[in-house]
Amino acid sequence: MAVATQRRIGAPVYTGSRIPQPTPSVLRTSEEALATGDVLTVNFGPNHPSTHGVLRLIVDLYGEDVTGVEAVIGYLHTGFEKNMEQKTWWKCITYPERIDYVSFQNNEYVFVAAVEKLLSLEIPPKATWMRTLLNELNRIHSHLVWLGTSALELGAISMFWYAFRERETILDLFELVAGYRMHTRYFQVGGLAEDIPRGFFPQTRSFCDWMPKAIDDYETLLSRNKIWLERTEGIGLLSADDAIALGQSGPVLRASGVDWDIRRDEPYLAYHQVDFRVPVFPEGDVYARYRVHIEEMRQSVRIVEQCLDRLERMEGEPWIADDRKVVLPPRHELHTSMESLIHHFKIVTEGFRVPEGEVYVAIESPRGELGCYVCSDGGPKPWRVKFRAPSFVALQATATCMSDALIADMIAVVGSLDTVMGEVDR
Amino acid sequence: MALNGRLRDDGLKSERLLWPTKGPSRFEEEVDNLEQRVGLTTLAKAVAWAQTNSMWPDTFGLACCAIEMMSIVTARYDIARFGMEPFRGSPRQADLLIVSGRVSNKMAAPLRQIYDQMLEPKWVIAMGACASSGGMFNNYAIVQSVDKLVPVDIYVPGCPPRPEQLIEGIVRLHEAVKAGVPPAYELRSVAS
Amino acid sequence: MTTPAGGWESVPGLADVKEAHGETTLVVEPRNLIDAATYLRDELGFGFLSDVTAVDYLGWSSKGVSGFIGTPGGRDLNRPMTQGYQALPEAKPKRFAMNYHLLAIADHPQRVRLQAWVEDGEPVPSVVPVWPTADWHEREAYDMVGIQIDGHPNLVRILMDDDWEGHPLRKDYPLGGEPVRFSGEE
Repeated sequence: MAVATQRRIGAPVYTGSRIPQPTPSVLRTSEEALATGDVLTVNFGPNHPSTHGVLRLIVDLYGEDVTGVEAVIGYLHTGFEKNMEQKTWWKCITYPERIDYVSFQNNEYVFVAAVEKLLSLEIPPKATWMRTLLNELNRIHSHLVWLGTSALELGAISMFWYAFRERETILDLFELVAGYRMHTRYFQVGGLAEDIPRGFFPQTRSFCDWMPKAIDDYETLLSRNKIWLERTEGIGLLSADDAIALGQSGPVLRASGVDWDIRRDEPYLAYHQVDFRVPVFPEGDVYARYRVHIEEMRQSVRIVEQCLDRLERMEGEPWIADDRKVVLPPRHELHTSMESLIHHFKIVTEGFRVPEGEVYVAIESPRGELGCYVCSDGGPKPWRVKFRAPSFVALQATATCMSDALIADMIAVVGSLDTVMGEVDR
Repeated sequence: MALNGRLRDDGLKSERLLWPTKGPSRFEEEVDNLEQRVGLTTLAKAVAWAQTNSMWPDTFGLACCAIEMMSIVTARYDIARFGMEPFRGSPRQADLLIVSGRVSNKMAAPLRQIYDQMLEPKWVIAMGACASSGGMFNNYAIVQSVDKLVPVDIYVPGCPPRPEQLIEGIVRLHEAVKAGVPPAYELRSVAS
Repeated sequence: MTTPAGGWESVPGLADVKEAHGETTLVVEPRNLIDAATYLRDELGFGFLSDVTAVDYLGWSSKGVSGFIGTPGGRDLNRPMTQGYQALPEAKPKRFAMNYHLLAIADHPQRVRLQAWVEDGEPVPSVVPVWPTADWHEREAYDMVGIQIDGHPNLVRILMDDDWEGHPLRKDYPLGGEPVRFSGEE
């Protein structure tokens, strides 16, 4: 399979391809193993403390070796896409947040970005920078949840408490800005829902001063820990060619030696104006994915600081676009201007109309390439919305990563692929 | 736990299900004896106190509410002070089922199975809007309220509920148990 | 969005090229899909399949339809908000569209959308031999919209129950759910 060999670093993790045939996402037990009669089929059911949500894995075990793996999903299928077809564009924005419930603002942003692309709307810089800041805070939040739960599943229980300590600080910041800890619904088509409240900048600064020390704490606990290294080094190998063929993106792809990050290579929001490094490691194992996550947290703190530097000088600027056909007018205008009243009425009752067309917008969510395909028929409601969830694709790689592994490694592998089942099942 | 019944009528029901004609065991006779001597109300209250102070939940996190449920275990909201920090992986060892998140039609059967595997007395908290009523997802895929599948004791609204809201729900459950309110499966069946 | 050096005409089986909102859409006939896909992957470097989206355009240019047609005897949850709209979009060639979103991970990244139109029951060849990641995406397209995929190694339902009837994301499949009391919609 000839795939592009640009943007690679390091030597290939293994030669050839380990993608199972004929079905790429199912590892099948070989006939010889089945003939011995010693193969035990075990159900890692939807309710399991270590499967990151409602994932069902049907595993064939030969002793402790995993000879067959199949993932069954759909236990959290919510019908987001069908529901969103019934709501006006504004009301739709509440839904994407709950798809990937750990990096909720990235989901909000990708949908809002797709709608703004169809509308060809210009976003004021204050909103762009604030969205960048919140997306990066959300990235740190998501990586903290990943770190806490993955380490918990491998037995490093203290990591959970340390990671969630910082997570609470981030959720305090979200609550300060938007009024709620999770599912903030702060992004609006055109900008932000409201102005940035006072007190947000100093509190975020103190968080940025503290966070690098906290990440040092996490590294002290795990990075050179002999047990962690034994459990994660050399486990779950995925080469760069296989990763691209399997559609992997985000930390999984970067840990396999492919230097691809949508924030830097197809920049959106304010990413082309901030300075950050993209961590890439060539080993392709669980430990490399862990290193990528840790380093990304450090870089996100840097990005947040740079956004703060810019935002602190934007006091008093507009936070939402001025297009009255799409954005609600400020309330004081409703008393004096007839057009504002009519616009307000139309936007609230019928909803604004988005011109006909189809777009696909992809951003770098903490899990990888999060894409939103929106098809509009020119009316007040979407015709079709589809979310390309990185976890949906990442779970397909379980079979490839699990060739030649033990059952204890399966927990490490499934954890390292950073799957959120809400995203997988939508 | 019914305060107006005899202690030996609670618990050990599963044994009688399998062997209806079995007479009281040695343990039950001793408990009965103790009850006569100590006084019914005091013993029942003592048992209720013991149950509420170590009501171990089952890991049944489904969606967004699970993340907030995980944060009540952490240091800031700390449910270890209520004795509830060991989230048991096995329903056989759990007392409380916190259904946190949206229950899809595919997940309905495993949910009922987990509930059936729990031993009595058992309580159910429906956490969040999706578990309480289907939430914002009034569609083909989501079960509109988990009380169609299992009898629910406490509904905690929110999307997702703050950790403090969930702890309020848990504390109210503890107060109900200490006041003698029986678990939901004795009061009502599932909704239609 | 820059076109490749040879232009898009070199893609085998190309029926149409559309450009809108900075995105390029290549329309191919379903029978030429594998040739076009292999050419795009090997010659033009589109080795990364981002997404496979199936869209149902039933009722696309009918007046008063925005997203859902009520089944006889089923509730039309659409009714309170539908206002109709002035301009009706142009009709689409067939009922279903299969969109393949491709990405070329190269020093100059590029994205393109490959589109194939099919009617109900008309099969689409599977691109799993070209991009293995299409496995679950195609299963989802089959499960949700009912597109028949030819040559898929494991075409079973993925998100719905195995014995579910119907394809939920089709436009003639009702939203489901329960009536909400006192909302004026009963």
